[in-house]
Amino acid sequence: MTGHEPVDPDQPLVLIVDAAGGPRIAALNEAAEAAGLAIQDLLADARAKAASLQAHRADPAADDAALRRLALWATRYTPTVSPWGEADGADGFFLDVTGAAHLFGGEERLLADLAARLDRFGLPARLAIAETAGAAWALARFHPAAPVILPAGAEAQALAPLPVAALRLAPDTRTTLRRLGFKQVGALLDKPRAPFAARFAAELLRRLDQALGRAAEPLVPIVAPPVYHSLRYLIEPIVTQAAVVAVATRLMKDLVHALVRDGAGARALRLSLYRVDGEIALIDIGLTLPTRSAEHVARLIDLKLERIAEIVEFGFGFEALGLAITTAERMEPMQTDAAAAGEAAHPERCAALIDNLRQRLGPRRVRQLKPVASHIPERAETACAAANEAWIDQTWPAPGESRPRPLLFLPQAEPADVIAEVPEGPPQRFRWRGEIHGVVHAQGPERIAGEWWRSRALQPTRDYYLIEDAVGHRFWLYREGLYGRETSAARWFVHGLFT
Amino acid sequence: MLSVVENRPGNRAEIVHELRRLMAWGGVAEAHALPFGLPALDAHLPQGGLTCGALHEATPEAPSDLPAAFGFIVAIAATMLARMPPDAPVLFVTAPGALIGRPYGHGLNRFGLDPGRVILVEAADDRQALWAMEEALRSAAPAAVAGAVGKLDFRASQRLHFAALESARPLLLLRPPGMPSVAVTRWRIAAARASPDRFGLIAGSCWRVTLERCRNGRPGQWLVEFDHASHRFSLAAALADPAFSRAGSRKRGSENFSRGRKPRWRGDRARAG
Repeated sequence: MTGHEPVDPDQPLVLIVDAAGGPRIAALNEAAEAAGLAIQDLLADARAKAASLQAHRADPAADDAALRRLALWATRYTPTVSPWGEADGADGFFLDVTGAAHLFGGEERLLADLAARLDRFGLPARLAIAETAGAAWALARFHPAAPVILPAGAEAQALAPLPVAALRLAPDTRTTLRRLGFKQVGALLDKPRAPFAARFAAELLRRLDQALGRAAEPLVPIVAPPVYHSLRYLIEPIVTQAAVVAVATRLMKDLVHALVRDGAGARALRLSLYRVDGEIALIDIGLTLPTRSAEHVARLIDLKLERIAEIVEFGFGFEALGLAITTAERMEPMQTDAAAAGEAAHPERCAALIDNLRQRLGPRRVRQLKPVASHIPERAETACAAANEAWIDQTWPAPGESRPRPLLFLPQAEPADVIAEVPEGPPQRFRWRGEIHGVVHAQGPERIAGEWWRSRALQPTRDYYLIEDAVGHRFWLYREGLYGRETSAARWFVHGLFT
Repeated sequence: MLSVVENRPGNRAEIVHELRRLMAWGGVAEAHALPFGLPALDAHLPQGGLTCGALHEATPEAPSDLPAAFGFIVAIAATMLARMPPDAPVLFVTAPGALIGRPYGHGLNRFGLDPGRVILVEAADDRQALWAMEEALRSAAPAAVAGAVGKLDFRASQRLHFAALESARPLLLLRPPGMPSVAVTRWRIAAARASPDRFGLIAGSCWRVTLERCRNGRPGQWLVEFDHASHRFSLAAALADPAFSRAGSRKRGSENFSRGRKPRWRGDRARAG
C-alpha cells in the first residue's frame, strides 16, 4: 500500500494493479467482500458496486518486506520460519514447530499465543498446525474452523472436502481440473495415478504427495538455521543496554555446554531482540577466533550496542532475546582452569582485542596492510580488515632491497608548484600547501611507468624524487609525464613524506 | 631525591640502586626499559632506556615537523618490536587530522618495522582513538601501542598512563604541544638534515631530539640519526661529543647547532620533571 492517507478498515478497501482493460482488484478486505467485490474485478465496476470504496495501488515490494519482517518476528517461536513464495500466495509463512511447542505448553497454547499476538498487531490471521506443510497451508486457507490442529495421519480425511485450490496448484492446472469436473481434493485422492501423471504436469501429483506426507517438502528458512540456538522469554520487557547484555550472557552460558560437548567454538553469532511491538533487531557479531567465553561475547555485544545505539530503538522494551551461533568451528579443547588462573594464550588475546575494536569502531576502521605486486605506489599495498592469521604469510620485500619509500603516504597525490630544469632535471624549488621549500638535496629519479596492461587509458610515466629542503624536511615528489613524448607541460605532485 | 643524586655523582649508582630496591619493595615491580643504544642519551633516562609500562609523548616542534615526530615514534616502535616475541603486533591508532596522509607499509618496512605486524586503527574522532588505545593496552595483546591524536586532556593522559603501567606495555603518543599530561618522557622532535652515506644518498633519518621532560631523569638535546639499513639509532657525528649532549638548550636549535658549532650555553640546568 503506497498511500499515506489513513484507511478505515470497516469500509470497503481494495488494492489495485494495472491490467488489461484498466486497473483491477488485487486484494480486498472483508467489507469489500461483503459488498460483492472479488479479486480480478475491474476497479470501475467495483466503484459502481460499492460506494465509498477506498482504492490503493498495490505495492508488492512493500508487502514482501512486511511479510519478511513478520517472519523474522516469528523466529521467536522457532528458528525455522519460511515465508511463502509466489507459488504459495506470498501472504503467510510456515513455522516448523517440531520440538518447539512444548516450550509454550503444547501446540494449542502456542497457537493461541501466536493468534493473540498477531491480533494485537491488528493482523487477522488464519492458523493451522499439521504434520505436513501442504496440509497446514490447505487447512489455514480453506478450513471453516481455523485455527485447526490436525492429528498425524488424518491429512487425507481432512483435505478431502476442501476445494482443489487447497493443493497450491498453478492457475492453469486448477482451471483444467475444474473443466474435468474435479472440484474437491477428495475426488483426486482415490483415483489411479497414471492418467494424472500423463495428463498433468508433475506439479499436481507432487503437491498431492506433499500435502499427504508422501513426499518431503523442505522449508527454506528466512534466516539460515543456526547451529546452536538459545532463546529466553522475559516476564518484564527490558529497556536498558546493560539488561540486554546480562540476558545475552545468560544465553551464551546456556550454549557453552553444547559447544564444549561438540568440541566447537562460535565464530559468528546473531543476537535477536524481539521488541514488544513485533519489531525485531538483529545484531550480528563476528569473531576472529572461535570462542566459548560468555564474557567475551557479552563484551562484544556491549561494544556493538554502543556503536549502533542510534539505530537500535529500545521502544517499550524487548520481551524476548535469542542468541544463535550461526557459524561454529572446531576448537581445540583447553584446560579452562589454567586459562582462568593465568593469562590467556597470546593469539587469543590478540583475537579478542581485534574483535573488541571491530565491534566498537566498525570493521573498516581496524586494518592491516598487505603488499600487492605492483610498482605503482598507491597500488603497491592494500589495507584489508584485520584478521588474526594475516601476519603469518606475507611477503614484504626485504627492507634493505627496497627503494626509498615514504613513511607517510598521501593516498591522493597533491599538486605542487615546482621550478625544475626542463626536460628532466630535479626540482629546484617548490611550493606545497602554501609553503615554499628550497631544495638542497634531490635523489632520483626513480622512473615508474604506468601499468598499460591494466587500462587502455594512457597512464603517464612518473619520475619520483626524494627531496630534502634546507631545514631537513624530506618529501617524495614526482613529475607526471615525459616531456615531448607524453606531455608538453609536466605536472608535479607530492606523494609522500619521509622523516 | 633528584638533587641528592645529582649532587653526589660518585655515589649515584649506589643511590639509584637503593632507590629502585625500595620501590620494588614497596610493591612497584621494576619495569624493564628499552635503551636506545646511545649511552649519551640513555644516561638521561631513569632506567637507562624508555620504561616499558609508561606513556611516552612526542610532539613536533613546528607543525611541519609532524612527519619527523611520527618517524621518531616509528623508529622507537621498530627497535622495541625487534626485542619482543615475534607474534606480538604493534597497534597504530590515528585520529583524523592527526597525521598527514596515512602510514605506508613499504615505508614502515624500510624502517625495519614489519608491516605485517602492524594493526592500523583509524578512529573516527579523538575519543574513539583514546578508547582504542586504552582497550589495546588493557588487553596486553600488542607489544606496543602507538597513537596520534589531536587533543589529549590531563585526565585522559592519566588513564592512558595507568593502562600502560598495568599492562607493562609502552604507549608512544604523537600529539600537538602545549597540553599538560602525566607522560613519563616528553620528546620534542624537529627535522634535521640527514647526512648522506658514502654514495651521497640519504640512507637514514635524522632528527633534532629534545628530551623536554623526563620523570626521574634529565632533559637534554641530541641530534639523533636512525639508519634504515641496520635499524639502529646513532648520534650524528657533529654531536657525538658528550659535552654537547649534556646541555639542555631549550631554544629551537639554530642552524649552527645542527652544523656542529658549539651551542650557546644557556642557564644550564633545565627543569626536571
